[in-house]
Amino acid sequence: MIWHIAKRELYDNLNSLRFALTMVLLLGLMLTNAVVHLQEHPARIQKYLSSVVDARNVLESRADSLYDLARKGPGKLYKKPSPLHFCAEGGDTFLSSAVEAHYYFWDTDDLGSFWRMQYPAATPNLTNIRPDVTKVDWAFVIGYALSLIALLFTFDSVSGERERGTLRLILANSVPRHTVLIGKFLGALISVNISFALAVLINLLVISTSSAVHLGADAWGRIGIVFFIALLYTCLFLALGLLVSARVQRSAVSLVILLLTWVTFVVFMPSILASIASGFSSPMSADELQVRRYQINDKLWEEYHQKTGVSKLQDMQVGSRLVTQDKVEQDRLIEKRLMQQVEQVQRARSITQISPAAIVQHLLESFAGTGFERHLQFLENAQHYGRQYSEFIVETDRTDLQSLHLIGVREGMSQKPVSPEAIPRFEDTLSLSKDFNTAATELLLLILFVVVLLSSAYLAFVRVEV
Amino acid sequence: MLITLVRRELLDNLMTFRFAAAVFITLLLVVANTAVLIKDYERRLEAYNTALKTHQQQLRERKTYSGGLLEIARPPNPLSIFNVGLDKQLGDETWIYHSYVPTLWDARMLGTTNPLLNLFSSIDIVFIFEVVLSLMALIFAYDAIAGERERGTLRLVLTHPVSRGQILLAKYISAMICLLVPLLMSLLLALILLTTSTTISLSTSDFLRIGGIIFSSVAYLSVFYFIGMLISAVTRRTGTALMLSMFVWGFSVLVYPNVIVAAIAPPYTSQARMVSTFDQIKQIWDELDRERKQFLANDAVPGEDPSFGMVKSGFAYEYFYEDSSVLYYHYGAGAHVEELNEESEPSVPHAQDYYRFLVPRSVDTAEQTWLVQRPALEAIFVQPAIVDRILLRFSPVGMYDAATQAWAGTDLHGLRDFFEAARKYRRTVIDYYYDKNAFRAREWFSADKGAVDWDSLPQFSFQRSDVRIHAERALPDMLLLLMMNLLLFMVILLVFTKSEV
Repeated sequence: MIWHIAKRELYDNLNSLRFALTMVLLLGLMLTNAVVHLQEHPARIQKYLSSVVDARNVLESRADSLYDLARKGPGKLYKKPSPLHFCAEGGDTFLSSAVEAHYYFWDTDDLGSFWRMQYPAATPNLTNIRPDVTKVDWAFVIGYALSLIALLFTFDSVSGERERGTLRLILANSVPRHTVLIGKFLGALISVNISFALAVLINLLVISTSSAVHLGADAWGRIGIVFFIALLYTCLFLALGLLVSARVQRSAVSLVILLLTWVTFVVFMPSILASIASGFSSPMSADELQVRRYQINDKLWEEYHQKTGVSKLQDMQVGSRLVTQDKVEQDRLIEKRLMQQVEQVQRARSITQISPAAIVQHLLESFAGTGFERHLQFLENAQHYGRQYSEFIVETDRTDLQSLHLIGVREGMSQKPVSPEAIPRFEDTLSLSKDFNTAATELLLLILFVVVLLSSAYLAFVRVEV
Repeated sequence: MLITLVRRELLDNLMTFRFAAAVFITLLLVVANTAVLIKDYERRLEAYNTALKTHQQQLRERKTYSGGLLEIARPPNPLSIFNVGLDKQLGDETWIYHSYVPTLWDARMLGTTNPLLNLFSSIDIVFIFEVVLSLMALIFAYDAIAGERERGTLRLVLTHPVSRGQILLAKYISAMICLLVPLLMSLLLALILLTTSTTISLSTSDFLRIGGIIFSSVAYLSVFYFIGMLISAVTRRTGTALMLSMFVWGFSVLVYPNVIVAAIAPPYTSQARMVSTFDQIKQIWDELDRERKQFLANDAVPGEDPSFGMVKSGFAYEYFYEDSSVLYYHYGAGAHVEELNEESEPSVPHAQDYYRFLVPRSVDTAEQTWLVQRPALEAIFVQPAIVDRILLRFSPVGMYDAATQAWAGTDLHGLRDFFEAARKYRRTVIDYYYDKNAFRAREWFSADKGAVDWDSLPQFSFQRSDVRIHAERALPDMLLLLMMNLLLFMVILLVFTKSEV
């Protein structure tokens, strides 16, 4: 019986104006998305590869001296662009694509400051005077267009029948109400998703036929998950539409309520809430960081001056301690600031989860391997590599028996050149299992939303008086 | 008769749920958002004030004319709360140097405490109107004619001796009154919030500009009402009218502006022009470099050291700075000598001669290159942006956005005003140097016989353009909006008079 009702709904929908318009709209959006991706992605990959090679060359040119390697650090580390950039752009222009091991802070005749990881802000494209618009990615198509379409397919499904008087007719049959509701729900779900699936297929077809962009098995798995999330999200808005449609007498009123809810939750809520939430805490400012860095520096130098001047060897030992201690404390300070910044953003993001649109945006970003969560992953990878690099220096120094093992002083370290291949390479990885961990809560939250809305739609419909 | 009709329509509209919802949502969004935006503005103002303080500090520490940079900052625009435009997107700190002409493309951004927060897009008041009010206008309009036709009341109304034009006008006037209520109320609340904030002071000219924004909003609203009415006039059923209206809304407000800019690829064709212009600029500077080296070779001091070995403590610098991506190239040279090497005292007059030759020459060279740079920048960066904005204007949203940006002064013109002022200030500073005979002074490079007194240096202050100029800039888009109104009204009239009841 459910299937019968669903089929009727489906035929109704497929013949309607809204289905045709939906089709055109989604196809247009998805085609634009594919074309833009094909234009931009090869350049992005090219830029990444060439900067990685450049950075590696700089690093290998320092291999003559272990001291240079130890002092100047691993250079610039780049974030690997995701092949699924077209799914969610994730504000990538606001996240820096690299971290940099920066070594110049102070310098004396014998000692120089060691490298520390710096987390630069994304270099804003200040030459860009073109109008600022949202990127047309899947997240936009799903978040905005698909949800609006879902509402347009359901706003009159109960109230419209009531207005036309056909509801009475249906309920006069011996069909349980929940069957009617589920049938309607399925009918709308299938008709919305026929057009969406078609648009997605064409989008993927265009992207995958091009030789410039390569999608691996992992990427296809992710696309599958993204499609599933889109399905869930559509369900949410369909359920919302059914709920309001069942509660309200006239379909015009139902539409007004739905549209206003949509505008509030989808368009405005995420950014307004985030802005409010981010006002609650304020991380260390750049000036404060600078002041505290100098404080650390002054303190360590004072110690240094007190202890030096006895013998050459002791001077070197104290110097080595100064340099390494300085690096440790500065690193800690910089990381503390970074953590504060990250926490501020995370708090704001968790508050925006009231809006399902924000949840879906986050989910799509994490499965597409872009956006904030991905950036955190990249930072973690970079930090891990930083430690690995430091260990490599110590290990290499230890193998040289002539060395004094005083890291941080030129004469105290191994004088042998290092083989360029031996220097560890930075490999930025995207891992699905990690993404899934962070995304699980949000996925569950989304499912919860769907279940709550569906069951309230059911309750509302059961109590409907014809 | 018209008044009776308007009254009837007005009562019909005012008592509806959609009216209450419109007022509620607009007020809620605008008030919540204005509070957020004011806070954001205050943060930016604070960053600006800190920058000013730092610049003052730098100037105090600078003891020679050439030993440092003179920096200026762009104050945030209080009307960016209405339409942020390019105000937050482009650089807001630039420097004044005799051999460098400041442009929009090599300005810097003032730092923020947390650059990651840029992830959250900020929404301005005009965007709320763009989305919510256009939706409201369509919701008010979709059943204006189709609904009456369905209910059969249209036939009834038309039996009275009223012209069809009057009926349309009555519907239009009453709906606009209803739509103006949430618009004006929310703007009023926003203005109250703005004026109670202690950091924002609005001048009379600002209020006039806000008036311009309100006027554009009304014109925009009316365009969408007419679009809805047209759909309502051509369709038979309200259901169809509603569906069509929603898709038209989604397309013109959400889809079109984003798709059109994304679909049009950035122009890579200008790369050749970029390279050739950069070479040209480089050649002009190379010419100066040659003359400079010749001068050093021919003067009485042996060697070509431009700092003449004078520095005992302090610093001397000489550099060619280049950034080919924005056609930025210039030569800078100078010194900040705290203590002079005693044996080099005889070469001080030579250094003075050298700078007297070099500095005016580099001022001229900078201006010469600017003549080459300006049209190239215009062609490479500004033209594509203008094309984008023309394409955006095919949707009423684009016109409205452009008009309000022009009123707020956050459009490209408004931002370029600042850099124009910066260039003017550079001229003022150079004239000041000439007046003081700074180029041939010992203080140009050395502070050993007393530091430069900066008190009489003219201060930089940036005045936003006059309201009249803003109005002139907004005029084309305002006219477009008004024309669209008229056009739509005529089409509706035509369709409606021709249609059978």
